[in-house]
Amino acid sequence: MNGVRTVSLAGVGGQGIILAAAILAHAAMADGYDVKASEVKGMAQRGGSVVSTVRFGKQVWSPVAPRADIVIATETLEGRRALALLGDKGTLVFATTVIAPGSVLRGEKAYPDDMVEAAGARLIQLVPVDAEALAREAGTVRAANVALLGAATHVLPFGSKSWDDGLARVVPARILDVNRRAFALGREAAAVKEEGQ
Amino acid sequence: MERIPFLSGNEAIARGAVRAGLGFACGYPGTPSTEVVEELARLGADDADAAGPIVEWSINEKVALETGIGASLAGARTVVTMKHVGLNVAADPFMTLALTGVNAGLVVLSADDPGMHSSQNEQDNRRFAAFAKVPMLEPSDSQEAYDFPAWAFELSEEFDTPVLLRSTTRLSHGRGRVVPRPPVTFERREYARDIAKYVMVPEYARERNRRALARLERLRRRAEETPLNVLEAGTAAVGIIASGVAYTYAREAFPKAWFLKLGMSHPLPYQKVAKLYASVSRVFVVEELDPFIEEQVRALGLPVVGKEVIPANGELNQEIVFNALEPALMHKPPRRRRPVMPPKPVIAPAPASADDLPVRPPVLCPGCPHRAVYAMLRRQKVAVMGDIGCYTLGALPPLLSLESCLCMGASIGMMAGMNKTLGRIASVAVIGDSTFFHSGVTPLIDARYNQAPGLVIVLDNRTTAMTGHQGHPGTGLHPDRGAGPALDIERLCQGIGVRCATVDAFDEAAVKDVLTRELAAGDLSVLVALAPCILMDRSSREQVLVDEDRCNLCGLCVDLGCPALVAGDEAVEITDDCTGCGVCMAVCARDALSLPEAPAEGS
Repeated sequence: MNGVRTVSLAGVGGQGIILAAAILAHAAMADGYDVKASEVKGMAQRGGSVVSTVRFGKQVWSPVAPRADIVIATETLEGRRALALLGDKGTLVFATTVIAPGSVLRGEKAYPDDMVEAAGARLIQLVPVDAEALAREAGTVRAANVALLGAATHVLPFGSKSWDDGLARVVPARILDVNRRAFALGREAAAVKEEGQ
Repeated sequence: MERIPFLSGNEAIARGAVRAGLGFACGYPGTPSTEVVEELARLGADDADAAGPIVEWSINEKVALETGIGASLAGARTVVTMKHVGLNVAADPFMTLALTGVNAGLVVLSADDPGMHSSQNEQDNRRFAAFAKVPMLEPSDSQEAYDFPAWAFELSEEFDTPVLLRSTTRLSHGRGRVVPRPPVTFERREYARDIAKYVMVPEYARERNRRALARLERLRRRAEETPLNVLEAGTAAVGIIASGVAYTYAREAFPKAWFLKLGMSHPLPYQKVAKLYASVSRVFVVEELDPFIEEQVRALGLPVVGKEVIPANGELNQEIVFNALEPALMHKPPRRRRPVMPPKPVIAPAPASADDLPVRPPVLCPGCPHRAVYAMLRRQKVAVMGDIGCYTLGALPPLLSLESCLCMGASIGMMAGMNKTLGRIASVAVIGDSTFFHSGVTPLIDARYNQAPGLVIVLDNRTTAMTGHQGHPGTGLHPDRGAGPALDIERLCQGIGVRCATVDAFDEAAVKDVLTRELAAGDLSVLVALAPCILMDRSSREQVLVDEDRCNLCGLCVDLGCPALVAGDEAVEITDDCTGCGVCMAVCARDALSLPEAPAEGS
């Protein structure tokens, strides 16, 4: 709306969605955008579905929006769920991480495997990322959220300096280096994939 | 000839409630509400043989309401009394009770004090009825004070809602003749566990909220039909809308006027208001304190005279009403206007789950000590009154171990009210350490004072976990993580005079032992199930191993809802999230789960 772009970050409570959203928001600000953001906390943190939203543009009024241009999902089922947030021709950057919810663990429901069909039907571009492997390579699997963010840089307009500014402002100093590595690896992996296409 | 009793409004409310089958009453004294509980106690003493209601003074209004809710759940028609400011104290349970609804009829008496004869403010508690979207009855004299409790109980049960019975000083402390009516027979309603109705976690609360909004519209239709709202014909072309004692002042000041007399003043019957306007050329609203009815009439687009001449503070009387309104009669009547009926508000439906994907509700973490306690507790034949914190998640499938969640600290009062009503430990309370300090101490004192039986289980994980591990008086930790004095729950209980045992939450035998002993003891005690939140201790631990030959996928362990346990094809599988807490090992009937053998000492 009015040139404002909406990025939703979806995942499972505890995966670092809020941190990733904060980095994105600060990168957008460093790039000169007006930014508004919204996060969900409290009960949803205990392993439930969570969605944070970052909106940027010349002037942003609302902190939330019913539709997103880009979804960044730290877990596959949550990415699949967040297809509903995307407009046609949107982009879903998602981690191939699988965390089965209770009903799947107990064998009551099946984990969905129709991502490609569901996205294809609406011309949504899929960017799958093995974020956990990249984060492990960087030094800790807990940086998977940031590795995924690195992979999403190709669909976002912010410059490298702005991204680094976002990282430096948001990530605690003692884990900044490992997160910078994870971010760079994510960025590289997605670039390689793009060239390959 | 038998003398007709000459009763104060409060005495009449008490007798009217008993006549309507009252089973439980409690309150905190506060002028002008106090005499209701006193009269009930007197009636009980006068008629010691009859199975009269249980009558209690409570430690405060919040605990009174929570205890009353427990009694209502147990199946007893219940009245909870307080003065107007008392409802501020009880607002927390009151606002959410409006969503859960009741079992047996539950009436909250709010006695307001216009003029502040004996109060620090004169808030108009009719606002609370609108705020909570619950029906409100306003008797105007002692006879109505006697008659209305029966109506209130019926409304409460039919519409599954608490009912606000609003009195004011002149009703509570005024006197009048009261013609007794035949008693109402009331069958006690059995309590039935209903997690989606009584556990107000977001998912269930959203649905109850939709129902409460729909209920308000049904109540408005009832307000149109009920004989409590009467259109009384007059001979002058003047109409007056009034409720409570204000009606009596207006009636004396303008004997020839038409009246819309509202006994059920919330929600407002719009059609009846329109009918009054069709019958007269001008309308006044006579009400003490706020323009509660007047604002709603104005919203219909109808001309009305109210607070521009009638004081918005203090009490009214017939002279004030007459002097205020009489000059208005000299003015030309306003142009007749058609009322604009407010549209029925839209209620947003529950969002459909996208493409029937598996939902992901929040869950107790792997290694959470609460799961260990629920694993023991769910085998006991008691209702579990719950509270607010991570442990509320124990209400969700597959644990289904908790059956109420109303507001901070409500578990203990609800347990006490239920057990007192049923005369045994029919329920236990489960409450977290931080919630216990927030609002669990007062109901524990109250339960002790009122000799309610029960067991309070404090799930002490040494933090305020749900919101992100904040400190509380039990840990002494401050926002800057600096440590101050830490309060000891056992010693606190000792001071209150309640037996308290502290056990390791993961010590299955010890938890079971205390549960068995205390449930059999039949009086009041506290069990502190102690184990720090797993998220505060990230040291690596051994993970549970599965003996695939022994596992027959019976589901006992999977039924604990641990995210680290997967029902595989041949046997259960343990994920990397396992913390080795061992709760699943304890429930396995085939010894298929174990921890790696610890290396022998010295080797």
